[in-house]
Amino acid sequence: MRITVFDYGAGNLHSLTKSLGGEGRDVTLVSNPQLALDTDVLILPGVGAFAPAVAAMAAARDIMRSALQAGLPCLGVCLGMQLLFESSDEGDGEGLAIFGGRVERLRAQHVPQIGWNDIEDVNDLLFARSSLRTAYYANSFVCRPTDPTVVTAWSTHDGDRFPAAVRAGNVVGVQFHPEKSSTPGVRFIEEFLQTC
Amino acid sequence: MSLSRRVIVCLDVRDGRVVKGVQFEGLREVGDPVELAQHYERDGADEITFLDISATIDARATLFDLVRRTAEQLFIPLTVGGGIRTVDDIAAALRAGADKVSVNSAAVYSPEILAEGAARFGTQCIVASIDAKREGTSWRVYTSGGKRRTELDAIEWAHYCVAQGAGEILLTSIDQDGSRNGYDLALTHAVASTVTVPVIASGGAGVASHICDAIAIGAADAVLVAGILHDRVSTVGALKRALRDAGQSVRLVA
Repeated sequence: MRITVFDYGAGNLHSLTKSLGGEGRDVTLVSNPQLALDTDVLILPGVGAFAPAVAAMAAARDIMRSALQAGLPCLGVCLGMQLLFESSDEGDGEGLAIFGGRVERLRAQHVPQIGWNDIEDVNDLLFARSSLRTAYYANSFVCRPTDPTVVTAWSTHDGDRFPAAVRAGNVVGVQFHPEKSSTPGVRFIEEFLQTC
Repeated sequence: MSLSRRVIVCLDVRDGRVVKGVQFEGLREVGDPVELAQHYERDGADEITFLDISATIDARATLFDLVRRTAEQLFIPLTVGGGIRTVDDIAAALRAGADKVSVNSAAVYSPEILAEGAARFGTQCIVASIDAKREGTSWRVYTSGGKRRTELDAIEWAHYCVAQGAGEILLTSIDQDGSRNGYDLALTHAVASTVTVPVIASGGAGVASHICDAIAIGAADAVLVAGILHDRVSTVGALKRALRDAGQSVRLVA
């Protein structure tokens, strides 16, 4: 299985890359968005800001969107999840619009949200299979989907309930960092790879 | 529900080995950082912090190599601090595998590092580390590993750091550090109850009740613990069970 992490110049990819590895898996970091699509699974990693990330994939935005709509499995983590939406309050540019809606600032007293938060109202087997009940977050922005039925898990920070995870077919976005959520988080990634 | 209270394990690192100072003096070696970090993750640590106390420039490469090796084996957040002077240092630490970088003396002498770091990498990865010492009814900021007194008031300085872009405050009481007499609760509360970002209480943990007090009375979001774990006086699991029994929300590992 070829797994490609789209490297748009964001921060730490070591833990994510390591958690994707395993027997028969070929994990590569690719910074050219067009070349990143030549893969079995696309990973959109999660550290950075919306505008520069969107700019890094702009040249291939339409073909990336088509590939995901045609069934290319994709896991978007944190900012990577936000890239799957249409637009963001954090910065200009067009997201992949796999999910309708906008990325907005957390309506909370304490921003950024940094720490471990509970995963609630789960409707995706990946959580049960991995026993992931509490996950690590480091974010100031969250996704506000126009269609709430795409949301497969929720979390709440300072009274603001927001999507912890969304799914459309084989495209999954998670606002938390599974690669930083210890053993259950790593298992979540493993379950995604085994079932996508 | 809301965020869990965090227990963060600090490993003071010098030349690639873990040491823990008592009031920043009298260092002694306690073990291999990668092994210790993994041990503490298994025991339920919510994060690991490496504080590099090496004195030399050569030690930077050793530190970043250590960060790289740790990030490949550790699946909880890793913060790196100590000797971070420029935005390029922050970039290098993040590239090596740190999730967050803590900035102490450099923030005092060139405060733009906070704003520039936050703009480039996001506020969530910039931790303002403040070493404070009591002077009468207030607290003074010290730099350079607690050796150099500044004219800054610790509480005002914490607010300034947040305004500049710090996403967290790591607040160390120099008076309490290594004493095992408990955190400076007044200092912790004075900062934690007035800033909008998480505050990590540091310095003075001796028994589990100190950790409960830092959170319940000091209003800290997280506690930094080192000596009592490295000396096996307590475990992360025991500390977190004590927090749970005190009614705090914590992440417990199976």
